[in-house]
Parts: sequence; structure tokens; C-alpha cells
Amino acid sequence: MSPDDAHLGDLLERARAGDRESLRELVRVLNPVLWRVARAQGLAAEDAADVVQTSWLELIRRLDEIRNPRAVTAWLITATRREAWQRRARSRRDADDPAPYLSAAVDDGPPPDARLLADERDRVLWRHFERLSERCRDLLRIVAQVDRPDYTVIASAFGMPHGSIGPTRGRCLTKLREMLLADPAWSM
Amino acid sequence: MDDPLDREILSRIARFDPPPPDLDDRVLFALALDDLDAQVARLSAEEFTGSGARAGERTRTITFDADSRTVMITVVERPDNLVRIDGWLAPAEAAQVSLRFPEPAPARTITADSTGRFVFDEVPHGLAQLMVHGTPSVVTPSLAL
Repeated sequence: MSPDDAHLGDLLERARAGDRESLRELVRVLNPVLWRVARAQGLAAEDAADVVQTSWLELIRRLDEIRNPRAVTAWLITATRREAWQRRARSRRDADDPAPYLSAAVDDGPPPDARLLADERDRVLWRHFERLSERCRDLLRIVAQVDRPDYTVIASAFGMPHGSIGPTRGRCLTKLREMLLADPAWSM
Repeated sequence: MDDPLDREILSRIARFDPPPPDLDDRVLFALALDDLDAQVARLSAEEFTGSGARAGERTRTITFDADSRTVMITVVERPDNLVRIDGWLAPAEAAQVSLRFPEPAPARTITADSTGRFVFDEVPHGLAQLMVHGTPSVVTPSLAL
């Protein structure tokens, strides 16, 4: 087990005992990743937020089933992916009668909003970012969200070995850099 | 090991699709309930009706499904910037229903009628969470009213 796992495990133990600050910290560390997991399943923003909440509610209900607190990250990520998948399956089934939030669902995370894309460098970056592999896009989006990259959490989200996250991140970032530096619109 | 360009790229990517700024608060609010054994109801449908051109016209209907029951609510905008929640439990039951708010606002609890209908009126906008008491109790995720 890595120190990160142990840290999150400690937080869960203290949250179980009723320590609100530990719960707050646990939510703060894990939410950006759970958000990406839900979005990567193609859910609209409101649905993704709802699915993240539902997964936490299930976690609290089933705390006793989690014998090893260090497994909390993997448990939550699996629960979020399953919830998101079910939500999307339901929205497809109901497609004859599309509610507004369902029709807003997209396949690969939405483009940034128009206000952001008013920035020329953002526009150029987005154009090249979209050309990366799906794996690179997902990984870079998660890495970008967490201020102090927690490779344990990210490895759980991707089902990748802990040791390969760093090199993969490096490869994806290098590829993006090369595309950007070759683009006169970026170098301006 | 990141140089300034890496950092610029990542900070721009982070702004593409960040979690909603209130996501942590919504989660913590939903988790701060007393009954940890409650069944979790999933949002299964949400629909907006009315043009919204005039206050009081726009309504939102939300359906939550739990294993043991379905809860449907309609959120109606009032002219005074409060909302009314018309709810319906299926199967019909005169169960106690609570509406929780973030602290320090106290929760409101009412009893549904024998057809499963209940009303919360003059509810402020903001976060709220519904709980239907019973065996088992049922909770919804937090709602942004």
C-alpha cells in the first residue's frame, strides 16, 4: 500500500467515527476524480453531479462492508462508474421521451464553454487536445484537476498499475506540447 | 518536474470542465443526515414545463426511484421567490416526509395523506434533501431548489 492509500484510509476511519473535517477532506480529495469518472461515461453536468452524490450516499450506507478502509478509493470509483453507466443506459432507454437533462448528454465530456474559448490560447489548446487519444484526454483531465497528483486515486480510476501513471502522463503531455509548439497560433 | 509550459497546459485543461464549485458542499450536505441506513433514491426523470416567462409559471417535475418506493415532486415557483413542493409517494402511504436544509435551518416534517400526497410550501431556494420515513427510510440526493 502506498502512503496515499494509508492517508485516505485514515481519513475514512476518522470520518466513520464522526469526524466531519476528515469527511470534508476525503470528499475534497476524491470528488474531482469521481466527477471525471462520471463525465467520462458521457453524462451531462447535472447528472454527473447527482451520480457523484449518490455514490457517496451508498458509501455511507455500506461503510461496514468496507473491511479495508484503504480500499475506499477503488470502491467509490467503481460505484460511480456503475451508477453513471446505469444512468446513461436509462436515459437511452427513455430516449423516446427525452427530458432536457437527458438530451444534453454528450459522448466525451463537453467542450469548454464559449467564454473560455474567447481566449485564443485556450482555443488552440482545445483543438490539439481533441486529437489526443481518449486515454490521454481522460488522464490529463484528471491530472489537471488534482493539485497534488494522487497517483493511487488515478490508478484506481483507470485500472492502471500505479507505476505506469507517471510515464503515461509524461507521454501524453509531451505529445500535446509537440503539437502546440508546432502550431504558429500557439507560439505567437 | 513540470516546467512552466506543462503547468500552463494543465491549468488550462483544468478549466475546460471542472466540477461544479458547490459539488463538495452538495455531497457533504447529503451525507450529513442522521439515518445512515436509509435507502438511496435515484433521480430517474426530470422535466421542466411552462415557459418561465412569468413568475409562477415554470415548474420542474422530478422522479426518484428507490427499491421500496417512488417519490415524485413538482417544484413550483411562487411569485415571492419561494417555491412550493407538491409531492406524491407510490405506493400510496400516509408516511412522514421530511425536508432537510443546510444548518442551521431546521428540517420540516409533515405527514402525507392516505393517497400519498404531501405539500411543502414557502420553501426557500437553495439546497434541500427529501427523506421519507419508514422501514426502510428513503433519502434523495440533495436537490438544488
